Amino acid sequence: MIDYSFYQNLNRKILDGDEVTLSQWQGTGGQIPPGEDRPLIYPRIGIYSGKGCSHSWLWFVDLFERFGFYDLIFLDEAQVKDGQLETLECLALSGGDTIAIAEGLGTSGAGQIRQFLGQGGLYLGSCAGAYLPLHSSKEHLEAFNFVEAKITNLIKTIPISISLPEKSLSPYGCDYVYHPVRESVELTAAEEPALSGWGRFEAPLYGGPGMIPGRECRVLARYSGFTSKTLFLVDPDLARETLLNKAAILGHPFGQGSLLLFGPHAEHPYFPEANKLVTDLMAWELNRSGRRIEKDEPPWAGIFLSGAEIKSWLRGLKREISNSRIVANGLETLSIRWLIGNKIYEPIKIRFFLEALWGRLRTLEKEKTLLLFGEAEQTLPDRARRLTVLLRDLKHTLDDQGDTLPLAEKLFQDLQGLTRIFLTVYFRSRWSAAVLSLN
Amino acid sequence: MEYLSSNKIAVIDLGSSEIAEEELDEGLVRENIGGAGINRYLYHKYESDDPLVIGSGLLTGTLVAGSALAVMTAKSPRTGSLCHAPITLTAGMELKFSGFDYLVIKGVSSKPVFLWLHDGIADIQDAGDLWGKDTWEATESVRKAVGDDLVQVLAIGPAGERGSGLAQVGNNYWASGDTWGFGKLLGRKKLKLIAVRGMGLLEIADPEGFIAQSQELLTEIKGGGWAGKAGIGDILAALGEEDGPSWLAPLIHRHKACFNTPYAANTFVFLDEDPKRMTEPETPEPGMLLTRFSDLLGFKQCGLSALESGRILKECARMGLDGTAVSSLCLKAGLKDLEGIRNFLPGADGPVDGQAAGPFSSFAPGKPLFADFGLAPDGSQDAAWWARRQAVAYLFGIHPLFILMAPELTEEKLLELANLGTGLEVTAETLDQAISEVVRG
Repeated sequence: MIDYSFYQNLNRKILDGDEVTLSQWQGTGGQIPPGEDRPLIYPRIGIYSGKGCSHSWLWFVDLFERFGFYDLIFLDEAQVKDGQLETLECLALSGGDTIAIAEGLGTSGAGQIRQFLGQGGLYLGSCAGAYLPLHSSKEHLEAFNFVEAKITNLIKTIPISISLPEKSLSPYGCDYVYHPVRESVELTAAEEPALSGWGRFEAPLYGGPGMIPGRECRVLARYSGFTSKTLFLVDPDLARETLLNKAAILGHPFGQGSLLLFGPHAEHPYFPEANKLVTDLMAWELNRSGRRIEKDEPPWAGIFLSGAEIKSWLRGLKREISNSRIVANGLETLSIRWLIGNKIYEPIKIRFFLEALWGRLRTLEKEKTLLLFGEAEQTLPDRARRLTVLLRDLKHTLDDQGDTLPLAEKLFQDLQGLTRIFLTVYFRSRWSAAVLSLN
Repeated sequence: MEYLSSNKIAVIDLGSSEIAEEELDEGLVRENIGGAGINRYLYHKYESDDPLVIGSGLLTGTLVAGSALAVMTAKSPRTGSLCHAPITLTAGMELKFSGFDYLVIKGVSSKPVFLWLHDGIADIQDAGDLWGKDTWEATESVRKAVGDDLVQVLAIGPAGERGSGLAQVGNNYWASGDTWGFGKLLGRKKLKLIAVRGMGLLEIADPEGFIAQSQELLTEIKGGGWAGKAGIGDILAALGEEDGPSWLAPLIHRHKACFNTPYAANTFVFLDEDPKRMTEPETPEPGMLLTRFSDLLGFKQCGLSALESGRILKECARMGLDGTAVSSLCLKAGLKDLEGIRNFLPGADGPVDGQAAGPFSSFAPGKPLFADFGLAPDGSQDAAWWARRQAVAYLFGIHPLFILMAPELTEEKLLELANLGTGLEVTAETLDQAISEVVRG
């Protein structure tokens, strides 16, 4: 069991100006070499939630929140291209459609990431976020050649699928990325100071790569076995050959910064040990890079709501999120899924977004003040209302046996947008409250 | 109220369209338990506004066997007394998880409206398009409008809109246990329907103890006399209509249980297609769900066949008419043929003979079902026993038929479960007092 309050308190101390060292965070005592045990910073973390993303970026949100990192920024492709990475110490990019992400970010986005890394930024990539910076000559991906490593599950001849054929393969340029297994796999951490005492742990694999490291790569963990929950999508022998003893987590320096690439979703909320490992590695790398950004700290400009105003505003939002989750829940009983880009989307993915909002509405109800920046006061309820209408349209079209793909594409796009704005309000308010309560 | 509760009472004023919310005070639960007990308290609190109160029992929607019941309470347009009607199938459970423990619906709207209850939000919405529709059309329309087929709908049909004393509040497409003419009350309030969806969660004070105790009780119950029986036909037989099962058998498609209720008390019959067919029906809705033994018995006594009875009951359900009351009037008027009865339905109204005395619906028959409760053979204890059993069901949220089948559902065990679930320490004396008050009406 991880005592999250311990880490939240450490982060609170950092915010309060107290010194908290890497060894305190990692709990490894004397394992950290002399001179490496520097004070930690409270990083500003950007989470990419733009074109090509699935819902898994929400797992990074959960992880950071549980460990007390509230200075979170949510970026779409336009914001990355617009230079927003300059304001970050860390960029997290989770799962989705790798090629769509690359296409969305384009050469301009790739250039921004290159510059961010060069200036000491830390890139955390899992699944699609891990594929993205690996060397590739494929269209769109060639702009992101930051890490020299080979993908072990890249193939030209399609293997026979023994389970979930729709999940076992993704086009990857003129090749295919096949997914040998899904769900929990066993990993073994490398023996190095950053991961002292970690040994074996589990994390879920949902299509991420096995990797063979190239120059400058550090193997931080390898796939070392399967578990009783591992679901084989291809012949188990092929799965073993593809994954076992291959790199699952890679570290790679880039300029003054670095990349941490996770084949499995170590940020998945059901795997708290793996989550802790993510924060340990993050703390280590941020300490190493020394990148420090001048931040606009609270109090920020915006509309502050308090007391009954919060209740009233949240009630309007809650009404629409509730309406949406009711329709979304009903959709889960229907046998429907959509192929958007290269990814299959099932109705349950709608609820992943809505539940991420729903659960946090209650937290906001308890806040003393709520900070609504920009046009969030009006745009959030409006967007939520439009989402309900869209979901109901989609349900009616399904009932009438119509084509729902265009509606589904718009729906997931709108969900990403709504979630991004809501979470910005949420974390700005929480961080603001945390900072202001210290003053 | 922290456990087994959403901690919310909504007071909905249809006159002003204002909705006030109150917390559910633990003291209220300690004294009145829940369901009909608290409904009754709230009714008297708002009595001058002629309220309809809807509430779930303390154990509604839980793992306790039979925990399907929510309760409607109001002054009956038919008797003028305070009465309770059961809400079964899955609507009671849905209400429990809707974010509201109790609803007080007071005042009269100036235009047709409906209530949409979801996740602790109560919305009064325009029902101009729904007014004039029968219960089936209204249920379809509102489900389509909110985009979910699992929404539970308590609706009135044309009978309620025109103010018939025989009007009932239906449960989705089917007849309910409203034997009090509450449909007329909703019509008077211009409240076409109440739509509910519950996606909330309940906290339990002692989850391990509560689950273990619920499972132990279920194990005891499983050996009861009801085991191996199902549906309305077997209930008719238990009440002395020996030919009930064979009379109904040719129409039976399946039996259906209410939420978490071991006995499947409802029977789905096919009226327009062969019930034995193994393929999808060719017509959109070839049959109907029979939810009340007395509806069927009433038309059987009129001399109709099972098929004819089913057809009439389907029309009653769509119009929002109390089938038992209609059959009683038909019998009195000597109507014995399908067409005569059918012609009677659109304007059906009038005083009903044999209306049950006391506050509980005749939805549940007045004696044990498939079980021996140790009552005197001459039936002299039946009435008092029945009222007490119904009170227990209506307080805790237990199916009012199933409580007549399961002697294992004792007052002591239900109280113990309620205390495990809520963390309150309600005593047997308090329960006894609450029962007495609810029985008194």
